Amino acid sequence: MFRLAIKMTLARTGRLVLTSLAVILGTAFLSGTFVFRDTINQTFDRLFADVFRDVDAYVRSTTFLELDFGGEQRAATPVSVLDTVRGIEGVTSATGDIQAFARVIGKDGEPLGSEGNGPPTFGGIASADSAGLWSIETGRLPVGPNEVVLDTATADNGDFVVGDKVRVVAVRGAREFTLVGIASYGDISSPGGATFALFDQPTASEFLLQPGFVDAILVEGDDSVSDEVLAQRINEALPADLRLETLTGAEITAEVQGQIKDVLNIFSTFLIVFSYIALGIGSFVIYNVFSITAAQRQRENALLRAIGASRRQVSRALLFESSAMGIVGSVIGFGIGILLSQLLNALLKATGFEVPTQGLAIAPNSFINTLVAGVLVTVSAAWFPARRAGRVPPLAALRDTALDTAGSISRRVIIGMVLVVAGGAGMVAAMNDAPIQILGLGVLGVFSGILVLGPAIARPIALSIGLPVAKLRGASGVMARQNAARNPKRTSRTAAPVLLGVALVTAFTALAASIRSEIRDTFGDAFSGDIALTVDSQGFGGIPLTITDQISALDGVAQATGVGFTSVRLIDPNEPASATQAGASQRGVFVQTINPSTIVGLFDLGVTEGDLTTLGRDGIFVDADRAQSKGWDIGSRLQIIRVDGVVVDAEVRGFVSGDTSFANYVASRDMFADAPSPIFDAFVYIKVAEGAVFDDVRDRIAAISSDAGIGTLQTKDEFIDDQAAQINQVLALIYGLLVLSIIIAIVGIVITLLLSVFERRREIGLLRAVGMTKSQVRTTVRWESVITSLLGAVSGVVLGIVMGIVVVAALSDEGDITFRLPVNATLWIVFISFVLGVVAAVYPAWRATKVNIVEAISAV
Amino acid sequence: MTTLPPPTLQPTTNSAARAAAAHKVYGSGDSEVRALDGIDVAFEKGKFTAIMGPSGSGKSTLMHCIAGLDSLTSGSVFIGDTNLSSLNDKELTELRREKVGFVFQAFNLIPTLNAYENITLPLTLGKKKGDSAWIDRVIDTISLRDRLDHRPSELSGGQQQRVAIARALASQPDIIFADEPTGNLDSKTGSEVLTFMRRAVTDLGQTIVMVTHDAVAASYADRIVFLADGRVAGEMFSPTAQKVLDYLKRLGE
Ligand SMILES: Nc1ncnc2c1ncn2[C@@H]1O[C@H](COP(=O)(O)OP(=O)(O)OP(=O)(O)O)[C@@H](O)[C@H]1O
Ligand SMILES: [Mg+2]
Repeated sequence: MFRLAIKMTLARTGRLVLTSLAVILGTAFLSGTFVFRDTINQTFDRLFADVFRDVDAYVRSTTFLELDFGGEQRAATPVSVLDTVRGIEGVTSATGDIQAFARVIGKDGEPLGSEGNGPPTFGGIASADSAGLWSIETGRLPVGPNEVVLDTATADNGDFVVGDKVRVVAVRGAREFTLVGIASYGDISSPGGATFALFDQPTASEFLLQPGFVDAILVEGDDSVSDEVLAQRINEALPADLRLETLTGAEITAEVQGQIKDVLNIFSTFLIVFSYIALGIGSFVIYNVFSITAAQRQRENALLRAIGASRRQVSRALLFESSAMGIVGSVIGFGIGILLSQLLNALLKATGFEVPTQGLAIAPNSFINTLVAGVLVTVSAAWFPARRAGRVPPLAALRDTALDTAGSISRRVIIGMVLVVAGGAGMVAAMNDAPIQILGLGVLGVFSGILVLGPAIARPIALSIGLPVAKLRGASGVMARQNAARNPKRTSRTAAPVLLGVALVTAFTALAASIRSEIRDTFGDAFSGDIALTVDSQGFGGIPLTITDQISALDGVAQATGVGFTSVRLIDPNEPASATQAGASQRGVFVQTINPSTIVGLFDLGVTEGDLTTLGRDGIFVDADRAQSKGWDIGSRLQIIRVDGVVVDAEVRGFVSGDTSFANYVASRDMFADAPSPIFDAFVYIKVAEGAVFDDVRDRIAAISSDAGIGTLQTKDEFIDDQAAQINQVLALIYGLLVLSIIIAIVGIVITLLLSVFERRREIGLLRAVGMTKSQVRTTVRWESVITSLLGAVSGVVLGIVMGIVVVAALSDEGDITFRLPVNATLWIVFISFVLGVVAAVYPAWRATKVNIVEAISAV
Repeated sequence: MTTLPPPTLQPTTNSAARAAAAHKVYGSGDSEVRALDGIDVAFEKGKFTAIMGPSGSGKSTLMHCIAGLDSLTSGSVFIGDTNLSSLNDKELTELRREKVGFVFQAFNLIPTLNAYENITLPLTLGKKKGDSAWIDRVIDTISLRDRLDHRPSELSGGQQQRVAIARALASQPDIIFADEPTGNLDSKTGSEVLTFMRRAVTDLGQTIVMVTHDAVAASYADRIVFLADGRVAGEMFSPTAQKVLDYLKRLGE
């Protein structure tokens, strides 16, 4: 039987590939992200192995903060340690390492490297020591406070040659240097599209960090002892009070490789989740395909049953076919995925992240994972249709008309309604302060309920959507309408991917529109200035405080204040020691740093209690809700551990609440004034003095910011729009999901229509025989497709709006966010679905006209 | 057999299959149809039996029930000594595979398999090799050896039916049921098929029960059972076409 199953499968190769399309699509995305991730990982692995080739030991501070997204911020190391290390037996050379914010200003006055979403811009040390990470390609090493070296890519992009003057912005402000050399990192010109400005150690420490400090120390040994012994020796020689540690070259290499992987993995995990969602939506198509083919082969299966095949043999033959489909689809999908990974790479390059991929990393694991996921999804989607095929009564072989296994519609309605009601109840509960997970479960319940209900409601909805079609398109329209409604199960399953995508997008668009207008209101109220200077630095670098102060002092500026962010560790001395010690959590929290003397009257942080001017060096304001949940009151004492390990004994001096304070904690920038790792501002809010000419003031501020090569200058309205638009980034992801589900939906509709055309070829042949024209046949197929697609879109929009209302209500505590219907987006979605229906029908309609009339009506 | 056999028209000792007090009712109330209304019939081993009767008289229903494709409302049917009502789906499937062969009016063959694979399908399903000498003989008898690797779509209607009969014979079943096997064929191709069925009984010792409307086709049989309104209306031994036509005429009056 196994051999026969193979034969029966191979006999339908054409169909096998056709029906594999859904699998191919889903697995292509999956393997594409796998290969992409591996290729980047492999590149970085090689890169760092190469860069750290000569590093035998690595000295750094043990004090650090874990940041979000797998990053960490570590305390600086005093330069004096360099001499200590150099004196140790077995050490050939030791050099300081710095990786800090620095931005190179191009010849046109614009900073090199894109702001915000682009790759980071670094400043560092170029040193003659072989342990250094950089090697000079042309020119020489920088010496003294006026010389700089750039990485090859940056020099090329900025059109700089040795001898040019180069402006660089760092924490100490903007300065001009002479370019004396061009360097490369490992064997590539610039890692990941980042820009590098390199100085000698004293200049780098002073300009980028804090005089007398470096980030870490790179050590090269003379190979008289192993790296482990060397690291051990260095460790013993280090002064204990500095809290330093020594890693071997291999350890630091592995750690850096791991860190970059962590960051990349966030990105690729996200892509992989997307791919699994795509595969999940694709499983609807697979399920549909199998249901249809099983129905079409009912007589054949019944015949097998009549002459003695057991239920299991019939089911297994179908499952075998599905495995074949899964394997074929996954293998083809894997091939396409490799191409897709190249596309992803090109896409990244287009957005400025030049990922230096070398070759393709095609890990056996990627292939196995893709294959397993593909086959698993396919076989499980085929499971129920296969079981149903096995239950076909042998008598069905003797009847001409296909048996209608309508099942119990009432049971379907009951189960569907129960799911919808339960899901709805979950969502309503979430509105009344039940945990947010309940909301997720509620949404899931509603979705599955709708999918169960689908076949029961598809017919009436399809008939009403088809009404105008039938009116307008005559006989073809009438038939299209009937065809769309004649098999409600099939129609609803075909429309399901459209429904899912549309419902999600509608709900999120509604949510985003509501949040956007909410943000706009909040910021409009809070910001009473005229101009804002912002930088989207993603937690690395920003507007140096000196620039903020410069703006403050400008003629025509009534008031200017900067707001920034930094990470600290926070310890509540009253919490049980076990919670703070045993956990030994290095987890940082965000603190908003402000200038208390200038912020009042310019930007409202939503202070509910206390006076910001009382912050001083050791005061802190806490979000009111958080303070309440932690039991903190005015006067409560908290320990704040800065990145450099300095412990500030802080006191709670007030509370803030509302959406304009971006972090749960607010401190004065004075708290960090003496820290070796400097703080930056992310926003500078400016009020123009009365009587001053707005445009003049604006120009003067622009001069400062462009001189510094940093920040975007915005009017109040622009700033508020910009803040509100942040939500669009989230929306972009959701639209990505929509695009995916649209592609899958198109494939699903194409396959279903093709199978329907095949199934109805006798009928089509008969219609052609009695006088239907080819164009009428095409019209019929096309409108059936449009009705199906609109069925998904219309029910998706309705469901999405209902979910949007519920989610908005659930998220807003005191009704401070109101639901806004995204009319335009909704109309677009319906229009796109219409086009989708037309596009999907093109090929099946053409196939329908190719039906051979004589064969069709004489076929047995 | 522990229970006393119910009265039948023929002695039971030599029957390949039989039905006793068979009732089959479709629907209920006003729309009730008594497709079988108390049928007692037995089919002798090694004989070719034809079933005739007007349309709707219950011929197909009787055959489906005896072959285990459908179940009776009341009464019992036996294949050999096995009471079908005592079997579950799995056992029924096995019985169909090993003891019963089928030939339908149309759609007999799996379109994706070639003639040879279709013929050996019941054996393959049962994971049996089968008696290759026997299969050879069957294939010779249908004289389609040169067409064995052809798909059904590449065979004529008569050839397809011969392949279907060969498939029914392949597992050497106790009994073969054929429902209007020549209904779709012209008289020449039909007689080809009927001759072959006759030979399967005479030369190969098989048992065949055939439903037909055609007096000429029925004349190939050893015996004819006539049905009317779900009951046995009569029977005839060693029929000729003329005798059958005469009988049917009388029945119609
Ligand atoms: N599935 C069914 N549901 C309801 N009634 C049925 C069903 N199958 C058969 N019948 C009825 O049972 C009676 C016997 O049908 P059957 O198919 O056995 O007739 P037949 O003798 O084979 O007729 P024909 O010569 O036309 O093939 C008929 O009246 C038919 O309408
Ligand atoms: Mg019949």
